[in-house]
Amino acid sequence: MNTIIKVEHLNKSYRKKEILKDLNFEVDHNQIIALIGENGAGKTTLINIMLNLISSNSGTINILDNTKHFKEHIGVMMQSNISITRITVKEILRLTQSYYKNPLPYEDLIELAHLKDLESSKMNELSGGQKRHLSFALSIAGNPDLLFLDEPTSGMDSQSRTKFWQTISTLKSQHKTIFVTSHYLEELEAIADRIMILQNKSIEFDGSIAELRTLEGESLVEFDSALLPDLFKSIPDITDFKNVGNHYQFTTKNAESLVRQMTPYLNAISNLKVQQNSLDSLFVNFSKGDANYE
Amino acid sequence: MNSFIYQININFKRIILRNKRFFLFDMMLPIVFYLLYSKILVTGIPQADLKTWQMNYLISMIIYSCLLGSIITVANTLLEDKTSHFDILSQLTPLPRWQYYLSRILIFLLLNLISSIGICLVGILVNNLTLSIATWSLIILTTIVGTVPLIFIGILISLANNPATVNMLNNLIVFPLAMISGLWWPITMMPKWLQSIGKLMPTFELSNIDQSILHGKIINNQYVIGIILWLATIGIAAILITTYQKYKELNIE
Repeated sequence: MNTIIKVEHLNKSYRKKEILKDLNFEVDHNQIIALIGENGAGKTTLINIMLNLISSNSGTINILDNTKHFKEHIGVMMQSNISITRITVKEILRLTQSYYKNPLPYEDLIELAHLKDLESSKMNELSGGQKRHLSFALSIAGNPDLLFLDEPTSGMDSQSRTKFWQTISTLKSQHKTIFVTSHYLEELEAIADRIMILQNKSIEFDGSIAELRTLEGESLVEFDSALLPDLFKSIPDITDFKNVGNHYQFTTKNAESLVRQMTPYLNAISNLKVQQNSLDSLFVNFSKGDANYE
Repeated sequence: MNSFIYQININFKRIILRNKRFFLFDMMLPIVFYLLYSKILVTGIPQADLKTWQMNYLISMIIYSCLLGSIITVANTLLEDKTSHFDILSQLTPLPRWQYYLSRILIFLLLNLISSIGICLVGILVNNLTLSIATWSLIILTTIVGTVPLIFIGILISLANNPATVNMLNNLIVFPLAMISGLWWPITMMPKWLQSIGKLMPTFELSNIDQSILHGKIINNQYVIGIILWLATIGIAAILITTYQKYKELNIE
């Protein structure tokens, strides 16, 4: 795998307030990286620095080897919508395509961004969700290898969000690299290969969801059984034990191990459910904790 | 289509063709003023001087129209490009920045060209003004070149980055500038101290150059130098403010 983003010792302060402190990370080709963090954590600042819209105080950033024409290969969907008066959707898409040497074919572009019926609409007359679709279309107009998406689904309805992430999956299958931030963590959970948590000015977690789950995850195990509670209470991996009549509810840090230890009793168990923590709750747990897992 | 031509095409549509404000304020307002003071309210002007008055006032209204276009339309357009994030969109693409600015400046010049031609046509058709095509062309061309400092004032105002401030600056600059440089009424009607300020304004200098062409007189170099100095001063101010804003990161929302 080849590295397409390399950030080393990046520091950023704004008006004497430290925002990013000694950030270091690399991004490989054909990955979907989700950058998450609370509001004001510095996610957009980090993206703006990577895009050279604002400068860092120190550190180096290397994107696509910093070649002279690297903008030919990147696409950006900013958090703010682009809404120019007196221009139609088709005109702005054609204009943006004209900036690139190898743009995405126009028909593919409107198909991918679900803009088929909006081509002749004026940009400023679109709804919030439609503007997000257009911003997405503008970001992929140049057929980029690396795509930055800053809160891409904010303002979209749930159906549009589902379609949007399907499109992102399609782009991933075309070997694109996608760097995304979103507050809809359940959406990122389904698609991200890697999670980066930006907290306390630095990347405090960088790994897969499975790795985050190992650190912070608690699973809920539920079942019905006529067996006596004492049989289960002795299982070491249980962190919280509840029993009402024949219904049992355990929480555990290691669901796999717990279920394995329950194997001798499986014949006497019914309605077994294992529910893993969502990325949302993993993030909340992580944010509450004080540990530095870097 | 070539990217630069496409930009010109889109900017022409949004800044001129589909922009009602341009036709109403930059063109119609000076035309109405011109008709009012050269055709309707002319009772105090001797018949022998009427044609000269109509010619001189035509020059004033051409420059007034360009003043409105160069400052108000330029400042509002550039501000809108920022608030609508058109500016950022362009920065994130491979589009060279010089192309971005050049495509706009060409459209701003075209905007002034269209309004100048429009007002000249009103003078020809309504007041039967007659000049050689060469003289008309030279007046229009000189006006277009001479309005470049005014376009830079518009660019400078747009750097305020705030619609309320831009609107206030537009009004604080355009109308006093038109008044003290003698575009609305003869500069001699104003107090001496105000006249001396008015005579330093780029609109007075441009008006004087155009009047010289109109009456076949030699152009006073002082006014040409004056316009060049205005261009240099405003250009440097715009560069300094842009650099400061970039340094302070005031250019990114």
